[in-house]
Amino acid sequence: MAPTLGKRKRITREELEQSSRASSPSSDSQCSDREDMQALFRKAFEAKFAPLDIEPVRKTQKVEESEEEAEEESDWSGISSSEDENETSNGVQVFDYASAHEPPTKASKSEMRAFMSAKPPSLSKSTVAKPVPKPKKEDDSVEAAHLKNDLELQKLLRESTLLSANAPTYSTRTGSTRERKDARHKLTDLHIQSLGAKKSIFEQKSMPMSHRKGIIAKAKMREEKRRAEAKENGITLEKERKTKKVFGKRERGVGGPSVGKFKGGTLTLSKKDLRGLTSSSGDKAKGKKGRRR
Amino acid sequence: MADETVQPLLQFEGHRHLTTRLLLSTLTGRPIRISKIRPSSTRPGLTPYETNFIRLLDSVTNGAQIQFSMTGTTLVYRPGLITGSAEGLGAMGGVLRHEIPRECARRGASWWLIPLALLAPFAKDKLNVVLHGEGCVTSATPAGDVSVDTVRTAILPLYKSFGIERGIELRVLKRSCAPAQGKSAGGEVQLVFGHQVRLPKTLHLMNKGRVKRIRGVAYAVGVSGSNNARMIDTARGVLNNFVPDTYIFSDVSKSPLITSSSRGKGDASGKEKGAVGFGLCLVAESSTNCVYSADVASPPQGGVTPEDLGKQCAYQLLEKISAGGCVESTSLETVLLLMAMGSEDVGRVCLGKDVLATEEAVQLGRDVKVFTGAAWGFRSKGMEDDEDEIVVSVVGRGVGNVGRKVA
Repeated sequence: MAPTLGKRKRITREELEQSSRASSPSSDSQCSDREDMQALFRKAFEAKFAPLDIEPVRKTQKVEESEEEAEEESDWSGISSSEDENETSNGVQVFDYASAHEPPTKASKSEMRAFMSAKPPSLSKSTVAKPVPKPKKEDDSVEAAHLKNDLELQKLLRESTLLSANAPTYSTRTGSTRERKDARHKLTDLHIQSLGAKKSIFEQKSMPMSHRKGIIAKAKMREEKRRAEAKENGITLEKERKTKKVFGKRERGVGGPSVGKFKGGTLTLSKKDLRGLTSSSGDKAKGKKGRRR
Repeated sequence: MADETVQPLLQFEGHRHLTTRLLLSTLTGRPIRISKIRPSSTRPGLTPYETNFIRLLDSVTNGAQIQFSMTGTTLVYRPGLITGSAEGLGAMGGVLRHEIPRECARRGASWWLIPLALLAPFAKDKLNVVLHGEGCVTSATPAGDVSVDTVRTAILPLYKSFGIERGIELRVLKRSCAPAQGKSAGGEVQLVFGHQVRLPKTLHLMNKGRVKRIRGVAYAVGVSGSNNARMIDTARGVLNNFVPDTYIFSDVSKSPLITSSSRGKGDASGKEKGAVGFGLCLVAESSTNCVYSADVASPPQGGVTPEDLGKQCAYQLLEKISAGGCVESTSLETVLLLMAMGSEDVGRVCLGKDVLATEEAVQLGRDVKVFTGAAWGFRSKGMEDDEDEIVVSVVGRGVGNVGRKVA
């Protein structure tokens, strides 16, 4: 065939094998020589002693052997063929499953407790924990997105009071940086309170007593006003929550007097203290007893 | 007492099936006379473990009369009421402690426990018995008794299908293995049976289902825990191919110390160690709650590798499963006796031919007929693929628990 430009002609497998065989003829001949030698030795050995039952390795060798052993077949019937590995000489098939076995896995602790306890293990219910079906990847991502959106929506609803027109000072849209900062603090406060803070961060810790009193009074007044208006309009409000007054024993200094006030070397007793001292304690006890009965 | 004397004695011969006959006598309330107990043996009469069982029977019942002949070859037993561990009748604090002496070490503790568990649902009160002593062997024994673990995991769960399920416990307080000649075991087992019924429910067990899981306990007493691991490994190697849900748990315990008054010379404290060994018990459970079990333990003289035992036990389990039927030979007596003691109704159970065609099963059927007057019905299961199975119909006696008229 005339050589053509363009694609090279594809080399077939046979050609390749032929070429490789041709390249190393010596090795093959050597190999066959060795086999012949082995066969000769073997033949000599078998002529002198018992025949060997080596499994034929090569096909060529097997053919030779079958020719050689044709004449010796008569005194060579004792050894069975080794082709069937499962079959031993007396025809009993042996299966060994122990060899092919899986890596050991341990049962769960709860299952062990259930089985090894004193009670007879219950038959009906399966103690094996069923594997939780894993959600598919796309489902997972969609779910996650939904959850995220949900959270954001809830947050927005909670903080929408800050954006309302009624409280323009906290609006984030109006320009000044101070107001924006304020809104941010307010947001943080809301967050913290929703997470379970006891009081707002805007609550001033220390201030003049009169101021605090004023603030409390004002809040109280506002609340009363709201309630009064609601009552007039016939609106039912939430129940008033009364804060319990705590009457604890006042913390006193060590070594101080148990009654009155010690100042400037004199113990001063107030009228209240005097009342507490002079009033007979028996009355109280009597009253208590009476109530109990 | 007058009516008892009117009742004629049921006559039996031979030492075989002694526990079954005593059990049936106690459950049905009919007195028996067993004669020709090993008459031609060099040691005629009852063996120590048989007398010990009668003693146990006496302690859980009230008003039983037992008479032996001089040689011990004849026994007359008039049963009493099954009281359980009632206070004041041998029980201390609600617990009845029963000692099994060293002469009885040939039999495993299950030989006492299986009949005891059968009596318990018909007792008047809760049963709480501790078996202890130098002859208490918790493992499987060469005599053919199963281990205590098999009793717990393969026999006691069957009571549930008879409506007996609450308050049943079998605690292995001390493990022990079968001792060699002249040695002691020293195990301790507690059986608590808190569910007494008027009548067991009628059982209909026709479909054996398919084996869905295999569990097991490997125990080593006084020997290395690696024996357990080796047994488990081999057994799992065999069984995992059939049932992937195969788990075998390991229990390693020390050899129990035995305080013996008779032999205080060896140790200054007068204590000696009990027998050592290891064993494996396997339980296969089918989808319809049928149970098959296998049990193998190392012989007292030793010389067996754990691998061999594991393989043997796994093959034994496979053999039991291949025998078919809904009930295997170990729990046959329990199931059939509970059915016979049930309400006056026909219960049915499907048994493999090889399971039914044993001497124990056939003799059990004959004995039940003698005691209750109702014979069993047999018919082959209609389907073509299950030609190896036979349906046994058992008519319940309908008397049940005499000590519990309302329950």
